[in-house]
Amino acid sequence: MVWYDLLFGPNGWSGLLLQGAAVTLALAVVTMPFGFTGGLIVALAKISASRTIRTFADAFTTFFRGIPDLLALFIVYYGLQAIIDKITRLGLPHIELSAFTAGVIALAVVTAAYSSEVWVAALKAVPASQAEAGRSLGLGPKVIFLKIILPQMLRIAIPGLSNIWTILLKDTSLISTLAVLDLLRAAFTASQRTTRPLLFYSVAAAIYLIISIMATIVQAYLEKRMRKGIA
Amino acid sequence: MLQTLQSLAGFVVNIPILQEYGYRILLGIRMTLIVVSLSCTLGFVLGYFICLARMSRFRILSGFALAYITFFRGTPLLCQLYIVYYGSGDLRPQLQDLGLWTFFRDAFFCCILTFTMNTSAYQAEIFRGAIQSVSRGQSEAAKALGLNRIQTAGLVVMPQALLIALRPFGNELIGMIKASALAAIVTLLDLMGQTRFVFARTFDFSVYLYAALIYLTMVEIIRRIWDKLELRLSRHIRPRFEVLAKEEAKAITIETSMPST
Amino acid sequence: MKKSKIWAALGLAMAGLLAGQADAKEWKTVRIGMDASYAPFESVDSKGEIVGFEVDYAKALCAKMKVTCTFQNQDWDGVIPALLGDKFDVIFSSMNITKARAEKVLFSDFYYATPPAFITTKGNKSDDISPAALKGKTIGTQSSTIHVNYLEKFYKDSEIKTYPTQDEANLDLANGRLDYVTADSIVLQEFVNTKGKDSTRFVALYARVPEIHGPGVGAAFRPSDTDLKDMFNKAIAEADADGTFKTLEKPYFSFDIRGK
Repeated sequence: MVWYDLLFGPNGWSGLLLQGAAVTLALAVVTMPFGFTGGLIVALAKISASRTIRTFADAFTTFFRGIPDLLALFIVYYGLQAIIDKITRLGLPHIELSAFTAGVIALAVVTAAYSSEVWVAALKAVPASQAEAGRSLGLGPKVIFLKIILPQMLRIAIPGLSNIWTILLKDTSLISTLAVLDLLRAAFTASQRTTRPLLFYSVAAAIYLIISIMATIVQAYLEKRMRKGIA
Repeated sequence: MLQTLQSLAGFVVNIPILQEYGYRILLGIRMTLIVVSLSCTLGFVLGYFICLARMSRFRILSGFALAYITFFRGTPLLCQLYIVYYGSGDLRPQLQDLGLWTFFRDAFFCCILTFTMNTSAYQAEIFRGAIQSVSRGQSEAAKALGLNRIQTAGLVVMPQALLIALRPFGNELIGMIKASALAAIVTLLDLMGQTRFVFARTFDFSVYLYAALIYLTMVEIIRRIWDKLELRLSRHIRPRFEVLAKEEAKAITIETSMPST
Repeated sequence: MKKSKIWAALGLAMAGLLAGQADAKEWKTVRIGMDASYAPFESVDSKGEIVGFEVDYAKALCAKMKVTCTFQNQDWDGVIPALLGDKFDVIFSSMNITKARAEKVLFSDFYYATPPAFITTKGNKSDDISPAALKGKTIGTQSSTIHVNYLEKFYKDSEIKTYPTQDEANLDLANGRLDYVTADSIVLQEFVNTKGKDSTRFVALYARVPEIHGPGVGAAFRPSDTDLKDMFNKAIAEADADGTFKTLEKPYFSFDIRGK
């Protein structure tokens, strides 16, 4: 059993693959809250009363949705540190981004651009009368948003956001072409060292598939829970 | 301050680079367009058959289609590309026996094959969503008028379904333009490949920004064309269509047309 | 009340950062970036560690400079942007010193120089590597390297394919997608002797062309880090003088790669 030795033998690569899978999951999980919150902020900017803010938000999403994710990650990944250095040179302490952090930021920017569309649709789907009702009860704008609008939005946004999560998970693989030893990079390394690409890439695909399928199960559960309140 | 502005301007427009490597970039654009149009067209046809299989009453057939769709939508395109390109090298003796190696030997065909299979999985789901969103009453009415099944599908359901699917298909096409940048990783000299080449020669980061602008332009052109197309094809049912189908199309967009990375 | 507390905490944190960063420029730690797909110089083992001659050598230099060194894997195409983007401080990755690169980065003195070579498939019996003999053939190599520049200049009638890593080009030769691969002779010899021994063979070395291949391999720094460059140059000279280089290269190479 050659494949068994290659994976689980004394110099087997299963350890590195699992380590890579952990990095992939960590990248996606850490990025998600930033990406989604960022997307919500962009969405709010898109429906803002100020035209300047709207234009900026639109330009942001048009740019990052219009260029290949690989290129977007490349630009943010390499460009960001240069920009930070330009700013910190003005007298602030030097801030250093690890490859992982830079990866998270790059992915979060792309995720924010994608998820903002979902948020906008969800925002528009909550009837204006809901906010009016809140105002007539004498609630402040912050409370109205957090307690009345957001919970209803979430229910509408979940299928869309769950798709974005799948995109995000798959986009982490692009980081592998930059520097980070994620699942795909681990498979890449193993297959270069052993010249058995078919085996290792198939194993990597299987692990991605398992993670994706688990995500759909979680999504179904969340949707069911969210529906409870209105059924 | 002035110096910063100057360097910024030099960053944005670098004429010598354009003069020396502009032709390469044009070749890259051509390759990207060829790859995308070929794989999207083939993927459209393949996607239709996979959709039929997915909606089939035969459990084995629909199960296979579901597995196919789940695999291609649940794993990164880059991983799929590696499997096809480097994995086929592993199977070279077998492929040679079958006479298929000349096909897999070529990076171009490996890319077309991978992209076609990937986009067909997404397009199959777009088809399915659109067909299901045409209300049952429509096919029942067709039946009552005495149309047979093929006529019902071809004359009644499909025209409506395709109209609803138009936008998600456009999004998939845009997704494919963007995803095709991965072809550069397996030596294909598409726009991204040529950009990398120019960068390797000049070490000038702005070539990546040019590439971004070119991709952006291609995507925007497609988007504009699609807006016009939708307006034109739906003019017979406006304004009802705008209210009804736009909501519906939006629902499908969100559901099925994630960019294929 | 609450808000002011948060600001106070933030301020303290910032002050801490400032204090911590103040002496960072004295080079206590040096971050080294390499494209670890270039055995035996640098590659990733099954534990995920970067190993190879340049890792051992860099560690020896760091010991001489009395700094702590960390190693990072970095895709070759992005190795210069990553250095300039401050992802690490040194490229120590078999980078040949060339004019085009020297416009962007600062090079140390070269620390090794080996001739490039061609390898081919087992089935190919010809030992002729002249451009005329390779006309119409497909030649592979790693992108952003001196070898691409060499091929572009002298092998205009051959089809040139470039790969993100040298490993991928070698693999594609073994797969039969390429007719020839060119790169550094040591890296190719390693491949032909190990992973590629059933399907590939060594053809011939060829001479370095000074205006393309440069004098040899050097460490690369950001243009502003001249102090770090001087430290490395001093350490490189010391490692030559006390025999460290000779000791370290023994386990890896059958002949001296230092070059003059």
